[in-house]
Amino acid sequence: MSNFLFRPAFLALLASSALFTACKDDNDDPTPDDDNEQITTVTYTLTPQGGGTPLSIQYRDPDGDGGVAGTITPATLVLAPNTTYTGSLALLDETKTPAENTSAEILEEGDEHLFVFSPTGVNLTITATDKDKNNLPIGLSSTAVTGAANATGTTGSLKITLRHQPETKDGTATPGSTDAEVTFPTLVR
Amino acid sequence: MLFRVPGVPGRAVCAWWLLLLLGCWAAPANAQSASCALSLSGRISDHERRESLAGATVVVLETQQATQTEADGHYHLELCPGTYHVQVSFVGFASETAVLQVGAAVVRDFKLHPDAIVLQGAVVQGQHVTAPSPQPTATLSGQALQQTRGQALGEALQKISGVTAIQTGPSIFKPMIHGLHSNRVTILNNGVRQEGQQWGQEHGPEIDPFIASQLTVVKGAASVRYGSDAIGGVVLVEPKPLRDSVGTGGELQLVGMSNNGLGAASGTVEGNLRRLPALSWRAQGTAKRAGTMRAPGYYLKNSGFSEYDFSGALGWHKDTYGVEVFYSRFSTKLGILPAAHAESPTDLYAAIARQRPLETTSFNYDINRAYQQVRHDLLKATGFVKTGSIGRLQATVAQQVDYRNEYDLYDARNDDRAARNRPALSYTNRTTTGELLWEHKPLGHFSGSVGLAGTYQANRYASGTKGFIPYYNNTVGGAFAIERWQKQKWQVEAGVRADYRYLATRRAARELRDSVSVFYVDRQQFTYLTPAASLGAIYDATPHLSLSLTTSLTQRAPAVNERFSDGVHNAQYELGYDLVPGNGALHPETAYHTALTATWHDNPRFNGELTVYQTSIQGFIYQQPILPPVINIRGTLISWQYFQTNATLRGLDLGATYGLTPHWTLAGKATVVRGRDTKADQWQVYMPADRAELSVRYEAPEAASPRLTQRYVHLTGYAVARQTRVPADYASKDYALPPAGYALLGLETGATVHWGRLPLEVSVAGSNLLTQRYRDYLNRYRYFADEMGRNVTLRVRIPLEFGGASH
Repeated sequence: MSNFLFRPAFLALLASSALFTACKDDNDDPTPDDDNEQITTVTYTLTPQGGGTPLSIQYRDPDGDGGVAGTITPATLVLAPNTTYTGSLALLDETKTPAENTSAEILEEGDEHLFVFSPTGVNLTITATDKDKNNLPIGLSSTAVTGAANATGTTGSLKITLRHQPETKDGTATPGSTDAEVTFPTLVR
Repeated sequence: MLFRVPGVPGRAVCAWWLLLLLGCWAAPANAQSASCALSLSGRISDHERRESLAGATVVVLETQQATQTEADGHYHLELCPGTYHVQVSFVGFASETAVLQVGAAVVRDFKLHPDAIVLQGAVVQGQHVTAPSPQPTATLSGQALQQTRGQALGEALQKISGVTAIQTGPSIFKPMIHGLHSNRVTILNNGVRQEGQQWGQEHGPEIDPFIASQLTVVKGAASVRYGSDAIGGVVLVEPKPLRDSVGTGGELQLVGMSNNGLGAASGTVEGNLRRLPALSWRAQGTAKRAGTMRAPGYYLKNSGFSEYDFSGALGWHKDTYGVEVFYSRFSTKLGILPAAHAESPTDLYAAIARQRPLETTSFNYDINRAYQQVRHDLLKATGFVKTGSIGRLQATVAQQVDYRNEYDLYDARNDDRAARNRPALSYTNRTTTGELLWEHKPLGHFSGSVGLAGTYQANRYASGTKGFIPYYNNTVGGAFAIERWQKQKWQVEAGVRADYRYLATRRAARELRDSVSVFYVDRQQFTYLTPAASLGAIYDATPHLSLSLTTSLTQRAPAVNERFSDGVHNAQYELGYDLVPGNGALHPETAYHTALTATWHDNPRFNGELTVYQTSIQGFIYQQPILPPVINIRGTLISWQYFQTNATLRGLDLGATYGLTPHWTLAGKATVVRGRDTKADQWQVYMPADRAELSVRYEAPEAASPRLTQRYVHLTGYAVARQTRVPADYASKDYALPPAGYALLGLETGATVHWGRLPLEVSVAGSNLLTQRYRDYLNRYRYFADEMGRNVTLRVRIPLEFGGASH
């Protein structure tokens, strides 16, 4: 009976379970997700071309995906009728410390990105004024022209979409996917 | 036709055998005459032609009981509990002797080899026979398993009635048993609990089905033996036992599919050394590659996948002890449909309303972003020792590591980051499991086992990537006992178990302090003590009819993903229960399960099985879409959240075959599940719709030409109804209503082609022959795309026998 031979082997097998569990440090803590790009903040600033105080509206979700939902301040973008504004967009990732300037990266890769401005229920026309290396619009800089005031008690909206279009950018919104999209309540008064 | 060999009084030998067996246990041996009514039955057939052998002789060597098989090859004997050598012989065939442990009614089929093919030793070693469980159990092996080669594990299991799958696209299937899935179904890969990353429906089991020679599904709670997660059931992926006869052999399996250009090759080589007959080994490997899947009318973009797996095993087996080491690696890369990446709510609803995805493609094998890359390594060591007086002691330790990287549709904008090309999600899950099992020697009418099981699991993600599931350490310790009492036609089984679980989570979180986003780590600890108990009985009403009843109670602690899932992955947003403001902590769920099964078996014409069951779960944890969809700055996302309620699931599984003539067989299967949310008094979401399958099989009489044998044709019709039992006002609770019902037609034909000395098993199977355009309620891609169109699969199995075989 080779039981005697076997018993040490059996015990060794049991003991080896201790080896299996000897693992890396299991008390480490998670670190911030620095490799994960987010766009937490979108600010659209409009400066009247004839002079005057610049207006701006901001979407901000500084804790990123999940957690507390993003907020828009002020609640509504109020523009003057029949005015031409110079618009500029600034995008940030505030989950990084210091906050990362996403608009600079978009400008760098302008041939892959396009901002699409879609006003609804408001007399507003926005045209991108900056161009990428292929002479297609980007939209970080823009011109906004307002028309007649909104009917009393109505508010429209301005949807700004950042389309990511690597190798497919043709100046239209269709190709690619959405990197960021915010809808600002907007009113001409 | 029962007769006795004269001269040996059967009962006396039986008593002797019992005395011998019970040896040092001073067990009462006088009960044998009453208990010697255990049924040993089965069917004797020709291994080559698969025909029944009438008039074959079955002799129990110890008792000299003997019988001859009936016209359908069936035999039946009654024995006392014990271990017997059973010899089967028939003129023109090599006799076989098997060692059988008879502790309960045993069904044992024999497949005899014609004498012309010389066997390497005609003694079939005794196998560790597990007694039937009172729980409904179904097995896929042999030709039925062969018909699924090339499919994913969860897809193959759908052949079993009562088993469906929760699906994400063409390559990810999670088995669903009686309406329960994911955290409630335990998968045992070669005896080790598969500890992958069951965090979403899009995480398929990381197992190569080619490893298995048998897939077994235990339907309904089996928590006492397999741990508290097994409320829904258990899937056992079982390789063949290591080779025990001297020689080297193997097999090669080849699969090709027309629809997605899938090609799969899997090979096994195994051997047993002449000089060291205790030593056996096996090496196995699989390569699989698939291109874009074709739905009726278009190719589904980025639906290709690749898979490369290998495994090896080394065993040392003696009669009284044995050791085995097993290593396996599974690795796959699979594409994610871009249509799932939705934008504004309008775009999302437009994508869902579309008949076909906006972006389609031509056929190719490319796997582009977004994709998943998964690897699973398993190392297992197991040993047993058998002693005459104590019983059988078995120890198993296993270490498994699961790596999962998920790449988003687009790479990083920041050049440094893009150059690093890190995945958006990058997880490592390490698990150590151990189990000690003691099966005591049968004591009178009792047999049973006692066991200890432990798990330690650490989950991490790469620093810098997203924390969809937090860091966690999970420690589980469990103890269980199962005892079986068996007398005449009755078998009663009872079991108890307790599990202690300690879970520590460390979650990366952010909060606003003075309007600035600040990173912090949220640490939490949880402990649970969860009980499980089961009671079941089997009654062999006649040699052809068995009835079994099982009841159980199980408590399951909530899993980490059910509590703390957070964020976007593969373009879907998921939120755990605990993170919903105002919810508090998820509490364990308690399941009460009852199932009744009637099996009529070994009849010449009509055989079948019917199971009816009910599972009531207090605190049922489930995932449901949330509307309106979560809109974050990336766009609009199909969104899911975990909820807790009380639910009752009832259903039935029916499977039957009817032999019309010796060559024509009719078979039918039906699965019905009814799930109610008893708290809200409405139907439960994501229950499988009613389904039925009807098939006709023709097995050709063997022709004079020996080139082609075992020719068959198999026609299958499969129908699934629309799921109409959904919560009221469903349009406001899901992104799309359950899709229409569908019917699919399949045809398969095959034969064994004798090519030289090699018997090649070749089959051609066509599925969805009418190119039906359909979607399934339980597929997450149903919002965007149709299921696979027509597909023709060619399968070839080549058995190999190297030197040592004396053909």
